Amino acid sequence: MSKVLNIYRVSASGTDKTKVTFCTDVDKSVIVHNFEKRGWVQVGPEDDWNFYWAVTQSCRNIFSVETGYRMDDKQLINHFPNHYELTRKDLLVKNIKRYRKELEREGNPLAERGDGPGKYLYLDFIPVTFVLPADYNMFVEEYRKSPQSTWIMKPCGKSQGAGIFLINKLSKLKKWSREAKNPFNPNLTKESYVISRYIDNPLLIGGKKFDLRLYVLITSFRPLKAYLFKLGFCRFCTVKYDTSIQELDNMYVHLTNVSVQKHGEEYNSKHGGKLSVHNLRLYLESTRGKAVTEKLFANITWCIIHSLKAVAPVMANDRHCFECYGYDIIIDNDLKPWLIEVNASPSLTSTTVNDRILKYKLIDNIISIVVPPDGIPDVKWNKCPPPEALGNFELLLDEELVAQEEKEYSSGKYRSSSSKWK
Amino acid sequence: MAENIEESRKISLQKSAERLTEEIQSMANYKNLYTEIQKLVASTAVKREDFKNTLLEALKSNGLETEIRNTVFHWVRSQGSLSAVSEASTEEVDLTYLKKAQIQWERRIQKSLNSTCNELNVPLARIRPNADREELAEKWNELSTYDIDLSQYRPLYAPKDFLDVLFSIRNPSFKKQPNELNWEFGHIQIHVKTLTQLRHLYVDLTKGMSLLGVNPDMPSSENFTNLEEERIYISEKVLKSNHAPIAQEFLKRGAPRALRGRLWSLVLGSTDLEYYEELKNMVLQYDIVIDKLIIKDVQLTARNDDQYFVFEDVLYKTMLCFSRDSEVLAPVTTDRSAGGQVIHAVLQGKPATLENTLVFPPSGVIPFHGFTMYATPFCYLYDDPCAMYYTFRAFYLRYWFRLHTVSSHEQGIVALCLLFERLLQCHEPLLWIHCRNIHIQPVKIVFKWIMRGFSGHLPPEQLLYLWDLILGYDSLEIIPLLAVTILSFRKENLMQVNNQQSVEAVLADLSSLKVVPLLQLALLRE
Repeated sequence: MSKVLNIYRVSASGTDKTKVTFCTDVDKSVIVHNFEKRGWVQVGPEDDWNFYWAVTQSCRNIFSVETGYRMDDKQLINHFPNHYELTRKDLLVKNIKRYRKELEREGNPLAERGDGPGKYLYLDFIPVTFVLPADYNMFVEEYRKSPQSTWIMKPCGKSQGAGIFLINKLSKLKKWSREAKNPFNPNLTKESYVISRYIDNPLLIGGKKFDLRLYVLITSFRPLKAYLFKLGFCRFCTVKYDTSIQELDNMYVHLTNVSVQKHGEEYNSKHGGKLSVHNLRLYLESTRGKAVTEKLFANITWCIIHSLKAVAPVMANDRHCFECYGYDIIIDNDLKPWLIEVNASPSLTSTTVNDRILKYKLIDNIISIVVPPDGIPDVKWNKCPPPEALGNFELLLDEELVAQEEKEYSSGKYRSSSSKWK
Repeated sequence: MAENIEESRKISLQKSAERLTEEIQSMANYKNLYTEIQKLVASTAVKREDFKNTLLEALKSNGLETEIRNTVFHWVRSQGSLSAVSEASTEEVDLTYLKKAQIQWERRIQKSLNSTCNELNVPLARIRPNADREELAEKWNELSTYDIDLSQYRPLYAPKDFLDVLFSIRNPSFKKQPNELNWEFGHIQIHVKTLTQLRHLYVDLTKGMSLLGVNPDMPSSENFTNLEEERIYISEKVLKSNHAPIAQEFLKRGAPRALRGRLWSLVLGSTDLEYYEELKNMVLQYDIVIDKLIIKDVQLTARNDDQYFVFEDVLYKTMLCFSRDSEVLAPVTTDRSAGGQVIHAVLQGKPATLENTLVFPPSGVIPFHGFTMYATPFCYLYDDPCAMYYTFRAFYLRYWFRLHTVSSHEQGIVALCLLFERLLQCHEPLLWIHCRNIHIQPVKIVFKWIMRGFSGHLPPEQLLYLWDLILGYDSLEIIPLLAVTILSFRKENLMQVNNQQSVEAVLADLSSLKVVPLLQLALLRE
């Protein structure tokens, strides 16, 4: 292996200075093929790389003070150092709560209150959530208001549906806390959980529950530059939705994660339970109407943008970084979208042929957007890709462009009111 | 002289009116219509002293006149075959061999069905055992969990087998060289349109009118933000008018997504029928071997399809009910193009008396591999399984049954294959010759598209635009035209390959195609 790397090193630092080098510790063909297609050369993490597709841990190492690694202007990496502000379940909730309070303090009309305590008219896009054990008392208070409802417990640091369970009785939570090795003593408990009100009226198609997996690319948090991948998909449960207590523990009914569903008897490997967002939209427009469908998709965009604005102030906005997040959204029966969680390393495993095509395009389009038009990574570039570089992405928001337009507009040069909001 | 003509016209008009009155009485919505009119007559809107005028006025003002007009429209459509056969084509050409071929084909299917029953030792039909009936009733909305072993069941035939049947048709008056491969349908003397005639038919496409399927965002001629807004506004007006012929005309330029379901129902008259429940009861009551074949087909098609898998459960219900629908039987078997053979099955373990005998299957339609695909796209249009069922059924009765029966009908599968061949030969001669050189019959490449009306081969949105055109122009000729257009569009790649497998690979993925612009391109260029 080291020999192979040596050869690469020679070719990288050899005659052709403009050769772009890449490095990855994610062994997925969709990634490597995409780089090789561009004529880039693979090198090891210790070598001079221009583009590193890293797992979050490697990225954290590079940015950690102990490592003392200094990136130069020709290097890009696919994570922000503290992405967990957005992607850890407890931190996301904390940041959104803080964001709402700040807006409220400023008297921003977006933070207008809705009916009932703790409700917001426009910013209620995550289910009511508490961090356990820290917010246990607050949770109990909320729980008592509507003891009929179901709650969902998720470990903060795990993904792919691991460790998740539903509860419909406080006694069940107490039982769980007794059985868990550490009692509810914040100093002893290693693993914290979030507990959220369970969306028990999800929109069903063919009687089955699903969620949306949307890909959102961020090239900068301050100013915010965000793109939405148009080829998102729905992930369906394999079993009919059923809220009865007997089925409360059946995760094939409740969890849409492919990693969960693919172990089910009914899992179909030809389509993997995935329906394109295009087809979802066709179905909803045809059966529910155009206006409500458009409102739903506008609300989805809204909740993505505000989740990003909520974390923007605390993100380490390193110029070398970009990141593609996997947004999980559940639509309820009133066609209201709920943000469930955000993943920093959305799965690049391909479960079906279509999946492979989709993920190949995803990586290809990401590279086209984050690399300047001349094809060589450069952090000094203004990160304004030309429209043809977007591929299947659409611009959600570019605060820099918005600010420019506003300036031009107020100085009277620019009469059209076209905003960069989509 | 003039008076005579006037007189005879009067007589023929009266005759038509009499016939119409008679026929309408046997139509599904007659009873309902009659009740409504009686109610109207009893109301204060109709005056005894001026009965005729006040009745006509009242009919107009409460919309019943439109209902009557639509009923006549649907009657005319059910009488006249699709795009009325031109007189010239029926001249002195003996096409009875096609009818014979269909009769033989039906016999073969029946034989194959019987041997399936014998092999598996199951009866054609029986009273459904209680336990099974209960399970089926309980799982009616979730038949994907109705667990029966179907590993021994195979579809009776696939499109490929049907194509072989078509290829084996011989025109007895046509002398062929003994060693010549049965290469094409050219020897079958059915009149098909030329491209020029198609241009004449699909006039909205030919003239380059703005069509929704080309680009909904294109600027509108009126004061609307875009074409889509304009089309939505107009279609709402069309639906309000409730006139079926206007809705049909409207579809020629594409339906907006949100209103397509209602527009299609209006054109097809497929609303307000209430015997869906009866069909379900029939399924629960009798166990026929067709049920297994239907369930198997849904499993083989929709269940594995990433566009339709979410609708698996509703498709079981739809297809099972369809098999019990005796209203399908008459139109399909009495059509002069079909073989018209009906099997009767005696319920297992019962004496062979009339009351123990049923038409098998009650719909007269024996499913084949992919039959479900005729119904799948409707899942995108209707949430209500009943509404979906009736529109699917109406579509089947008007169009789809012609795609799996041998007939001399101008809209039948033979004519459509012939149309495809003629168009390819005339307008893509290089491709035609290339196919000859590599020994692949061109029809073979596109047959599965044609036989399924492209269902399952195009993304749903594009497919629905295509089916808008079928309804709007009331013709299936758009399907072979699209097939030729796709080959023409991929010509460069096709010219570079020289075996069936590679040809199929070039044409396997149609997901990037935009149907309406392609068709427009083909019809526009002169």
